[in-house]
Amino acid sequence: MSERHRLRSILALVQLNGLIPIRSQPLYLLSILSSPLSFLFFIYIASHGTYFAFGVTGGMVLTMLSIGTGLQGDLTHYRNDLKFQDVVVASPVEAPSYIFGMALSELVYSAPGLAVFVVLWAIGGWATLPGAGVLVGTLLLVWGFATALSFTLATYFSDVRETWMYSPLISLGLSVIPPVYYPISALPGWAQSLAYLSPTTYAGQLVQAASGLVPLSATHSAVDWLVLLGFTVALFLVAATRAHWRDP
Amino acid sequence: MDHALRARGLVKRYPRAPPGTYALSEVDLEIPPGVTFGLIGRNGAGKTTFVRIAATQLEPTGGQLEVLGFDVREQPREIRTRIACIPQESRPLYFLRTEEVVYLYLKMRGVDPTDARRRTRDVLSELELEPYRRQLVSNLSGGLRRRALVAMVFASDAELLFLDEPTTGLDPLARRQVWEAIRHAIREHRTIVLTTHYLDEAEALSARLALIDKGRVMLSGTAEELRARMPYPYRVTIAGPIDPEALRPYGRVTPVEGGHLVFARETDARELARWSLEHGYRLSLGPVSLEDIFLEIVGRPLIGIEDEEAPEEPVEAPRR
Repeated sequence: MSERHRLRSILALVQLNGLIPIRSQPLYLLSILSSPLSFLFFIYIASHGTYFAFGVTGGMVLTMLSIGTGLQGDLTHYRNDLKFQDVVVASPVEAPSYIFGMALSELVYSAPGLAVFVVLWAIGGWATLPGAGVLVGTLLLVWGFATALSFTLATYFSDVRETWMYSPLISLGLSVIPPVYYPISALPGWAQSLAYLSPTTYAGQLVQAASGLVPLSATHSAVDWLVLLGFTVALFLVAATRAHWRDP
Repeated sequence: MDHALRARGLVKRYPRAPPGTYALSEVDLEIPPGVTFGLIGRNGAGKTTFVRIAATQLEPTGGQLEVLGFDVREQPREIRTRIACIPQESRPLYFLRTEEVVYLYLKMRGVDPTDARRRTRDVLSELELEPYRRQLVSNLSGGLRRRALVAMVFASDAELLFLDEPTTGLDPLARRQVWEAIRHAIREHRTIVLTTHYLDEAEALSARLALIDKGRVMLSGTAEELRARMPYPYRVTIAGPIDPEALRPYGRVTPVEGGHLVFARETDARELARWSLEHGYRLSLGPVSLEDIFLEIVGRPLIGIEDEEAPEEPVEAPRR
C-alpha cells in the first residue's frame, strides 16, 4: 500500500469512528468530559480551590487516557460483535494504519473535551509557550501508550463486557493512584514508590512543572521524559509482537 | 493461474481446544478461479475456520494453503490486497448510512474518493439499495443490512470474495434478495467462496461445491458430479400403506411420513414407477437432492437441533 493509500485508510477510519459518531450521537462529547470534569469538581471542593490548577492539568492527562479506554471498548465491540476487524484484516489496510486511524478518531472525538481544559489552562494563567510545548509532547506520549495498551488488550478480549472489568482497574492504576491530580508530595512514601510504576506519574509531573505548579530540575525532567518515552516504546513493542491482528 | 485457492493437508487446532481436537483435519481442496464455490456443512463442520484461514484472519496449525498463488502464512499482505470478506455474523456499523458503509470501506481500501463515490452509486443502484442510500443502517431490516455488506465487498476491486454464511438468520424473502445480490457479482466472473448450511442456496449460487464434515472435505465437485457419485442417483417417494419388503428389490428403502422413500438406480426407478402406477400408488420421482447426498455421506441431516450451539471444534485427529 502506498503512503497516499495509507493516508486515505487512516482518514476513512477517522471519519468512520470519529466524525460520523459525533454527527449521530453528539451526547458522547459530554459523556467523555464527565470523568475529568467530575474529578476537577471534587478536587476544587476538597482543596477549597488550592488544587484547581492540578485538576486542570490532570484533566488533560485523563482525557488522553480516556481515549485509550474508549478505544479499547470500541475495538473490542468492533472485533467481537460486528466482526469489523476481520473485515479490515481481509483488506489492504495494515494493522498500524488501523490502530493509528482508530486512535486518531478517538482523539477527534475527545478534542472538544480537551479544548475545555486547554481554555481553563490558558485562562488560569498557567500557560507559557515552552509549557505548551511540554504539554503537547506529554499528551501525545500519553495518547500513544494508551493506544498501544488498549489495542493489545482489545485483541485478547472475547466480549465487550471484559473491557468493563478492566477499564476501572486501568483507570485506578493510571489516573487515581499516580499523582495526576495532585503533586506527588501529597502521597505517603509507600504510595509514591507505587506511583512511580505508572507512566502517568511522569506525564503528570511534566505537565505540572510546565504549568509552574511544581519545581522540577532539568535532570529530573529529562528522566521523566525518558521514562515516559520508554513506556510508550515498550507498549508499542508489546502491541507489535503480542496483539492479535491475525488470530492464533 | 490454475487455482484461486489450493489447500494441501491443511490442519487447524485452536490453542485452547482440548487435546486431540481439530477444527480442520488434513484438508485438501482446490478452487478454480472465476467460479462461485460453495462450502457446505453443518455448524461446527469447519467451514468458517477454512474461510478465516484463507482470508488471512486466522493462523493455520499445519499444512499449506495458497490463495491466488500466495502462501497464507508467508505472504498475507499480497493476499489482502486482492481479497474482500464478509465474516460470519458480521454487521455494518449501526451509525453509518447505507452509502457510507460502501464508500468508507472503499476509501479504507485506498480507493480515490471520486472513484469511491462513483462505485458506491453504481453498486447501490445495481443491488437496488438506492432507495435506502441515506438511511441509517440501524433502521434497515436484517436482509437490507446484509445486502449493504454484500454491496460493500462487491464494490471493491477484490479478485476473490469470501461470503461466510451471508444469509443465516434471514427470512426466505430476505435470503432471496441477498441471492440476487450475489448473482450480480457472479456475472462479473470473480471468484466467490460461499459458505452455507442451506443446500438450496449452495445449489442455486455455486458452480462447484465441497461438502465439509468434522473438519474434513468429504466430497467436492459440481452438483451433477456429486449426484453421479451416489450409488443411487434417483429418489422415488411413494405414498400409501406399502410393505417395505415389496420395495426392497428396487433400491434402498427409508420410511418417511405417509409412505416410503426409495433411492434407486435409473432402470429400477423406472420399474418402480411403473409398479406403483399399476398398483394405484401416488409417487414422485426425481434426481437425488444435495440433502440426500449429505445424508448418505455424513449419516445425519445437514440442519439439526444440536447445531444451534455447536462449537467450531469437532473432535477429530488428523489422519497423519
